[in-house]
Amino acid sequence: MNYLYKLLLLVFLTAPALHFAQGFQVNLQGQKQQGMGGAGTAYMQDASSLFFNPGGASFVHGNSIIAGVTPTFARGAFMDANTKEVSRTNSPVSTPFAAYGLFEIKDSSKLKLGLAVYTPFGSTVQWEDGWTGRFALTRLELRAIFIQPTVSYRITDKLGIGAGFVYATGKVNLQKDIPIINADGDYARAELNGKAQGFGFNAGVYFNPIEKLSIGLTYRSKVEMAVNDGDATFTVPESVAANFPNGKFKSKLPLPSVTTLGFGFKATDKLNFALDINYVGWKAYDTLSFDYENNTTSLIDTKSARMYKNTFAFRAGAQYKIDSHFAARLGLAYGITPVQNGYVTPETPDANRVNYTAGIGYETKHLKLDASFLFTHLKRTDTNTETNLSGTFKTNVIAPGISIGYKF
Amino acid sequence: MNTTLYKIITLAITTTVVVSCKPKFDVPDPDNGNIDVSNYVALGSSMTAGYSNGALYYDAQQNSYANILAEQFKLIGGGEFKIPNVSQSSIGMGNANNAPSILGNRTDCQGVVSLGPVKIATQGDASVFTNIYSSQGSFNSMAVPDAKVIDMEVNGYANPFYQRMSSSASSSILSDAIAKNPTFFSVNLGLQDVLKYTLKGGASDSITPIAGTIGVGFEASINNVIDKLMANGAKGVVTNIPSIKTMAYFNTIAWNALKLDAATATNLSNFYANLDSTKFYEGDNGFIIMDSNNPFLGFRQAVAGEYILLNVPLDSVKCHKWGSLIPIPDRYSLTLSEINAIETAITNYNNILRNIASSKGLAFVDVNAFFSKVKSGFIYNGVTVNAAFVSGGAYSLDGLNLTARGNALLANEFIKAINSTYQSSIPEVDAMKYPAVTFP
Repeated sequence: MNYLYKLLLLVFLTAPALHFAQGFQVNLQGQKQQGMGGAGTAYMQDASSLFFNPGGASFVHGNSIIAGVTPTFARGAFMDANTKEVSRTNSPVSTPFAAYGLFEIKDSSKLKLGLAVYTPFGSTVQWEDGWTGRFALTRLELRAIFIQPTVSYRITDKLGIGAGFVYATGKVNLQKDIPIINADGDYARAELNGKAQGFGFNAGVYFNPIEKLSIGLTYRSKVEMAVNDGDATFTVPESVAANFPNGKFKSKLPLPSVTTLGFGFKATDKLNFALDINYVGWKAYDTLSFDYENNTTSLIDTKSARMYKNTFAFRAGAQYKIDSHFAARLGLAYGITPVQNGYVTPETPDANRVNYTAGIGYETKHLKLDASFLFTHLKRTDTNTETNLSGTFKTNVIAPGISIGYKF
Repeated sequence: MNTTLYKIITLAITTTVVVSCKPKFDVPDPDNGNIDVSNYVALGSSMTAGYSNGALYYDAQQNSYANILAEQFKLIGGGEFKIPNVSQSSIGMGNANNAPSILGNRTDCQGVVSLGPVKIATQGDASVFTNIYSSQGSFNSMAVPDAKVIDMEVNGYANPFYQRMSSSASSSILSDAIAKNPTFFSVNLGLQDVLKYTLKGGASDSITPIAGTIGVGFEASINNVIDKLMANGAKGVVTNIPSIKTMAYFNTIAWNALKLDAATATNLSNFYANLDSTKFYEGDNGFIIMDSNNPFLGFRQAVAGEYILLNVPLDSVKCHKWGSLIPIPDRYSLTLSEINAIETAITNYNNILRNIASSKGLAFVDVNAFFSKVKSGFIYNGVTVNAAFVSGGAYSLDGLNLTARGNALLANEFIKAINSTYQSSIPEVDAMKYPAVTFP
């Protein structure tokens, strides 16, 4: 068993950076796939296939239920290019979770039904008090839960299709300082808080032409999270309170579509490889706008260019079955940032990144335990065209995850 | 099996601790390049003294760009920067024996309450003018509000802001500065040479001529200052001066802010029927201003490009027919010819100042460009900075001098110029840590 230890050690020592998310999307779903760089579109492992490829879910044997959580620790920092001052985040731990249930209608049925509940994005960024970029952002909390009832049908022994409807519900809370100072020397603050909703779908095809090779193609649609009835609250000096009336606001945040082509390769009975190529429709995030119900000369509707571009991500992983109980996993991914130069913000100080992941699994006839670990380091130097905030963002993220599954 | 699991868990925890460490930056060490800032002396006038909100007071002195610069110098070996501090408990003192202003509610002659500058006391603190040299001198900040270039070497210079800090009854600003034996200096002079005339609406005082001996002409006087400061090999930084066209003081009350309804416009047009080209319309109209160059009447209607000064008594305008039936007195307006004379002088001064910097190899701060940038407005770390009175963030409530934030932004211009000339690497300051006008 010592080599498992060595294997993990090797990964950690050789990993300058592991990958985590792209933009504000969090790709933490199944622990097995997570250990394999996030690939799993053509490699059907368990009920988490409901997320990775609804078309392949019907190829998973039996009924299964899985629930997992990935506590995510993120520490960010910013060094101002002009002052060389370093500001840091005090972000709380976020806990993206995923739960999947996959059921056969009757034994050996070609039709499977499933329900997936997961958090495809969600995090809190909290910058330290008085930081350089406080007039752009002091705190941003995004939460979304996707609920995806899914049907998967095995047309032949080699071909499956599936689709799920996605209902998304979430919340957004954005805070920043306003450059109006009171007699005590404190800056005014704005807080925008609202519930968001959206709809979408997740569809896929799974094809297993020969035993050693499987191919998957999926499309997860864009989900536009709309805030229609948010509350804008302003803490301002009394003399300008009339200029900043508390009231409702509207906004929208698009979660991009993801088109994935995936390959699974069964090298031996013990060794499997998976490769996913994601095409992410980030172009949808063109503008971040806030439409305030009560406008004044000081409080006007805002439209901030985000100008994200569509990007690719490449994910590859391997799983080695050590024995009938244990499996070890390794993964590698490369993500291209959707954020163009001039548009890096403290909300998502995004950058291109390489990432390595690792995982272990333990299973008995009915029980499955899986754990994964990933780490990412982001670094991006930019001058934002809207705020002129200029400097280098760095983020270290670690996300150890664990899941438990039951198969029957 | 258990041992393996144990090892893996231990490894995972160790790794977690290691990688969850704060992101690290290679913060470059500040470097002094080829300057010695251990003894920095600042020469200047109101802007350099930190004069703000119409007065000199302790907080404003601390927030002067010169002091902010001196604080940053400490990162590269700068020593103590001694300021002739007004007592911390004093309200401070303005050049008209006035107290500083804060933003407050005031009621105008029509009973309308609005936010505006309100003096915090009926008079300034006269004890500010007590000489403090024996207890606190000598000083690194040799900035004297209202001082002109031609005042620099006047022995026993009568300005009370100098009298309070002079080393003796017969000393001059320049002799005190030289006696401090600076290793590094900044010279920001020339604005008062036009501004004192300008602030009186061109009605009194005069613009310092270019030509003339030391103490009379601008060129000889400024060269004398620089030569004496450099005599011991000190290096330094020289600035030019801003165009008055950039300043809030001259841009807040428009030349045509006389708002009339149709009936009043007709009445006024009839009243001034004998004056050619003096017509009034519903809406915005040019004010009637005194102009001694107008040979017959001594008054006329203002035209585009002319300035009404910020200190014009607005109640007189609103309720006592100033600017319509009664011409606005000369001291509250600048005519095109006055503006032209002022701007010509500024251009000439600035040519001389730039030449001095380049010929002597001194760092040069384009203060005029900085003020122009403020006038056009710019975004600093997500915050709009412009020349708007009260809300713009740069100008204090006197409309001429900068807020602490404005001073910090100006200090950053000095830092950029010094770094570029002397290969130093002094970090800039986060200007948003310095307040602008505070709101009640």
